[in-house]
Amino acid sequence: MPIFGELELGTIAGELPQMRHLDTEAWELPKAEILQLACEIADGSRVLLPRALHPAIPEYVTFVVTRYPESPVGPFDLAQVRLMARAGVHPRGYVLSAVASTATAAAELRERWGFPATPGEITVRRYHDRVAASVRRDGAMILEMALIDPEIVSGSDLQYIHGVTLARVDGATQLIQVDAHYTLHKAARGRAHVSRFEAEAWHAAPIKLSMPISASTSTSDTDLPRIRFVMDPEIPVVRGTRKVR
Amino acid sequence: MKFGLFYELSVPRPWTRESERTVYDNALEQVKLADELGFDQVWAVEHHFLEEYSHCPAPELFLTACAMVTKKIRVGFGIVVCVPEFNHPIKIAERTAVLDILSGGRVEVGTGRSATWTELAGFNASPDITKKSWDEFVRCLPRMWTSDKFEFEGEFWSMPRRTILPKVYQRPHPPMWVAVTSPGTELDAADRGLGSLGLTFGQFAEQEKRIAEYRRRIQLCEPVGEFVNDQVSTVNFLYCHEDDAVGLKTGRQMANHFNYLAAQLMSVRETYPSKSYPSLGLLPQLRRQATGPESSEQAGEGLCLGGPERITRALKRWEACGVDRVNFLINTAETIPQADVLASLRLFGKEVMPALNGSKS
Repeated sequence: MPIFGELELGTIAGELPQMRHLDTEAWELPKAEILQLACEIADGSRVLLPRALHPAIPEYVTFVVTRYPESPVGPFDLAQVRLMARAGVHPRGYVLSAVASTATAAAELRERWGFPATPGEITVRRYHDRVAASVRRDGAMILEMALIDPEIVSGSDLQYIHGVTLARVDGATQLIQVDAHYTLHKAARGRAHVSRFEAEAWHAAPIKLSMPISASTSTSDTDLPRIRFVMDPEIPVVRGTRKVR
Repeated sequence: MKFGLFYELSVPRPWTRESERTVYDNALEQVKLADELGFDQVWAVEHHFLEEYSHCPAPELFLTACAMVTKKIRVGFGIVVCVPEFNHPIKIAERTAVLDILSGGRVEVGTGRSATWTELAGFNASPDITKKSWDEFVRCLPRMWTSDKFEFEGEFWSMPRRTILPKVYQRPHPPMWVAVTSPGTELDAADRGLGSLGLTFGQFAEQEKRIAEYRRRIQLCEPVGEFVNDQVSTVNFLYCHEDDAVGLKTGRQMANHFNYLAAQLMSVRETYPSKSYPSLGLLPQLRRQATGPESSEQAGEGLCLGGPERITRALKRWEACGVDRVNFLINTAETIPQADVLASLRLFGKEVMPALNGSKS
């Protein structure tokens, strides 16, 4: 049997988002601009991963910065650091931490989908030879990254992996599956370059980046959907998954 | 119809000093029995870094051992990864020839290009060019086996005029195959006059359509070798038991375990957008088969799990679809005790093979 995560829930109990309930309504999010970088990491991330999940082989993280020009709470940007994993046989991105560009968005994302989001400043800039993003929180730069040498690809060449958050809801700590849909209009790929990653600021202290894998950017109509599945974080998902709807 | 065994050589955790040796020893015992029962071939893959799923980076060594303990069974060297960072083509030609000599002319060669980021990045190979390098390799290999002197100037490798030694024992050279996981690769095989070595567990209708198109295309091929290998092989699970329910239950446990381990790996497509890997390929397909709508009772369509009658029916359907050979995965991560694996093989040899055009005839 593949190895599992080793997260001690008690170590992060005080930081977990508190969701209102699991009856979250969906948000339609048209014309989102998504910048995603993937990087392999050195060993040591298993202590961050809930016991229900398997680490990917090899272990890697994704940095996802999304600009949402329209949403029920107005335009906002969202930056996530995801530790990539398997929930049983399914690839999933476990959200270690997130920054939203407005306090309202951060609060709504915490309460509706369990994103561990806090407010911060996010910039995304497009140049002829790169797409660059940076994230600041409390005045400190915590992420600088770029897609280098963009090259147009078909939307079907990109694969976005569903996210999983860890939150308190209905009196229990649960993994929440956030399985967004994407309709891609434009897509490009390039080399990934991360010039600054303050791991501690992302609740990812053991993570050390090793080999960059790839970078992609797209314009997509997407959503934050109704919650369909939740999982017990302490037991394998084949036994601990509950269908909400 | 001919039958074979197909080895990934999966090793379950916890890994001990003896666990890998046990898997290899068990596999050798299975191959020896398969040879006695009249199985036609044994294949071993080349994989690297694929924890638990496959501990088989040097298939030619395992197959040499197989050849030494068997008399007739052919040894399928493949899938050999035809990417320069993994294997220099001269070394592929040489190792194939040595194995062919040692086995007395029993080698078949399966070619491919890897589908995982886990492996390609491990060798620092770019996924973007694997199809082109594979194409260059498969065009060179037959000439390296058959020419007195060989020289080559290519995009991915070059060599001055030399005599590549030893030569293969079979004349003109061993049959060549292409690993087919993504839809469309069977047409690459057909265009080059190469056998289609299917590695997916697709359903009858889909496979029948793909085989028909392969048969049509290979009529128009420009063969890369000295002859056209127009055979279609597919892979399947095998667990045969007198009690159909026991066979199904045990076999499904094995199949599910295989799919589960495969799903832990990182396909190229998961994270590296590339036109070179346009379709889902094997790993996501296995995930879908393990958990999607097909994972119900219908998922058993075509799988060789259960009693002899059920397995015979499935194989007759495959034969009707145009499949010439079926290679079986007979265990995964030692899920099934060795004695039961051997009993399954014996029962298959006694009850199923005679009901089909098994190679025993």
